Amino acid sequence: MSFTMTKHVTVVVVDVDGQLIVGNRQELKQKVLDELEKGERKFLIDFARTGYIDSSGLGVLVSLSKKIREQGGELRLANLNDDLKTLFELTKLDTLFQIADSRERGLESF
Amino acid sequence: MREQALGSVLTAFYDATRCPATVWTQREVGQPLTLLGAVPHAAPPATPDLDALPRGPESISLDGPAGRLMVARVPPAKRAWLVLGPDPTTGLPLANLFRFLAPVVSQMLQTALEVEHAAAELAERYEEINLLYTISEILGRTVRLEEAAATILKEISETVGARKASILVHDRVTDTLQVVAALGIRPEDAPPIAVDDPCSVSAQVFRSRHATIVDGAEMACDAETPYRNGAMLSVPIMWTSPDGGEPLGVVNLSDRRSGQPFSAGDQKLVAAIATQIGTAIQNTRLVRASLAQQRLVQEMHLAHDLQMKLLPTGAVVAPDAEVSARVMPADSVGGDFYNLFRLSLNSTGAMIGDVSGHGYQAALIMALAMSAAAIHAQASTDPTETLAALQTSLRDELATTEMFISAFYGVVDRRLGELRYANTGHPHAFVIGGDGDIQRLPALDPPLGMVTTAPHGSSRPWATNRDLLLLFTDGVSDARNRADARLGEQAVLDMVTTNRTRPTTEIVERVFAMLSQHMGDVPPRDDLTLVVLRS
Repeated sequence: MSFTMTKHVTVVVVDVDGQLIVGNRQELKQKVLDELEKGERKFLIDFARTGYIDSSGLGVLVSLSKKIREQGGELRLANLNDDLKTLFELTKLDTLFQIADSRERGLESF
Repeated sequence: MREQALGSVLTAFYDATRCPATVWTQREVGQPLTLLGAVPHAAPPATPDLDALPRGPESISLDGPAGRLMVARVPPAKRAWLVLGPDPTTGLPLANLFRFLAPVVSQMLQTALEVEHAAAELAERYEEINLLYTISEILGRTVRLEEAAATILKEISETVGARKASILVHDRVTDTLQVVAALGIRPEDAPPIAVDDPCSVSAQVFRSRHATIVDGAEMACDAETPYRNGAMLSVPIMWTSPDGGEPLGVVNLSDRRSGQPFSAGDQKLVAAIATQIGTAIQNTRLVRASLAQQRLVQEMHLAHDLQMKLLPTGAVVAPDAEVSARVMPADSVGGDFYNLFRLSLNSTGAMIGDVSGHGYQAALIMALAMSAAAIHAQASTDPTETLAALQTSLRDELATTEMFISAFYGVVDRRLGELRYANTGHPHAFVIGGDGDIQRLPALDPPLGMVTTAPHGSSRPWATNRDLLLLFTDGVSDARNRADARLGEQAVLDMVTTNRTRPTTEIVERVFAMLSQHMGDVPPRDDLTLVVLRS
């Protein structure tokens, strides 16, 4: 379970390797907020290697999205598997995030 | 004993030589001479003049009332003398008789002296063993370290003869040595000693973990003045764990009654006691930690009971509806909840909520949501209005804690044959029809706390006494088994559909039995909540 940050032109891409759950959500939050503090404004979180997000993980995504928007930036998500897509739809979280099917489309959408 | 053996030797000597002989000793300087043995027994000898007795190894002649006497000191005793004479009638020369008897008496005195030393040493050891035994008993009897420490100090100081004694224990927070027991020192005069104090003997012993004996003038230190008067013996209190030794404090002794310096023997004795005190300190800490842990567990049980009492039973909505519900928190307390309301005639409200996360923080938000929902549900039969009011009530708490609530609230109106509902991010809400048809009641808005816009509402027909409202949290469908496989939403739906005509209590029982079988001994990661309503 790890978070890798890479910069693609103007977008900071965060790769989540493993589950996003109550035990590691603060680490993701801190890493993204540190980049926001440094002046980054465009963030794409790639869930290609993530099978499960618990309710605390969802909470962090919403909280990050709000904080980034307050600074005039944007948070987008990519590569949610079918279960996660269903979860976002069932909880209406798909209305809060722009979700791309692939990393490339996510990057293009900014 | 000594006198008896000596008497036998002297008698045998007299029988053989007919030469009178006496052995005198002075037990302590300044005391008069004591007779250890004399032959012949008939005539008690006159006590010789102490000043006339020789101090060196050579024999001297003395003139006694009955003739010439020969006197010499008998080694190894410093103050024992053999007196022979007057010359025997047998004509044997006194000097020859002296050369014969002196080594025998000397050997006897030496043996007696060794026995005396051994007896004294044994007595001393006995005192020490007795002290160790007493201390073991004190420590075994009590849990309160301070009480035990005071008694132990009294025992040690009496044995070692010290008027000032103290036990100092390391305080990790302030990094100082603090007095837990003291003798010969007023508690208000015994300040804590900083572990890094450069001149304090106690601090140095604590740091180096080695016992030290300092003489009167050595290492005088202001912080330590109350603890000592002259020489001081300071021994570390160690706790030996499998990971190595750890210093816990020091034992200090000073102001010796005899004025004598402390010996290596004293140090050894106090070190043995210090080890026992170390074990006692560690045991006390473990006992305290265990008591604190027990208290915490009790408080968690209490919190769990309180939280469960907040949840209503199906009786509150009977007879309009037949409802069965159960919550199983992952921790002692959790963030899942349900609520049931008997509204206007023939209308029943059922709510399920899942506060993000679990544990105390989630439980507090849950309690807040429960009470706010109870107030708002009574004000309106429109689920949208109730959830909107709940959102307003909880907005600040949810914003500051960065938590949110997925909630479903449905109102079944038997009279109109209608189910009205609002769903803010709750994924598992269904109506199971009498024919087994499953209808999901999807979320119409994101969870409470994520957005500030008012929730939407929807409605659908309700078949009285046939339709089932099924609500559960993701803890149920996400429950894992040993192979980390989820139970899945479909398994829950199948179980409820199969048993849809049974009493709701039985349906809930069967779902939880399935959960229990699926999870085995794997503890739940999330709270599990299930509500089944028929109306």
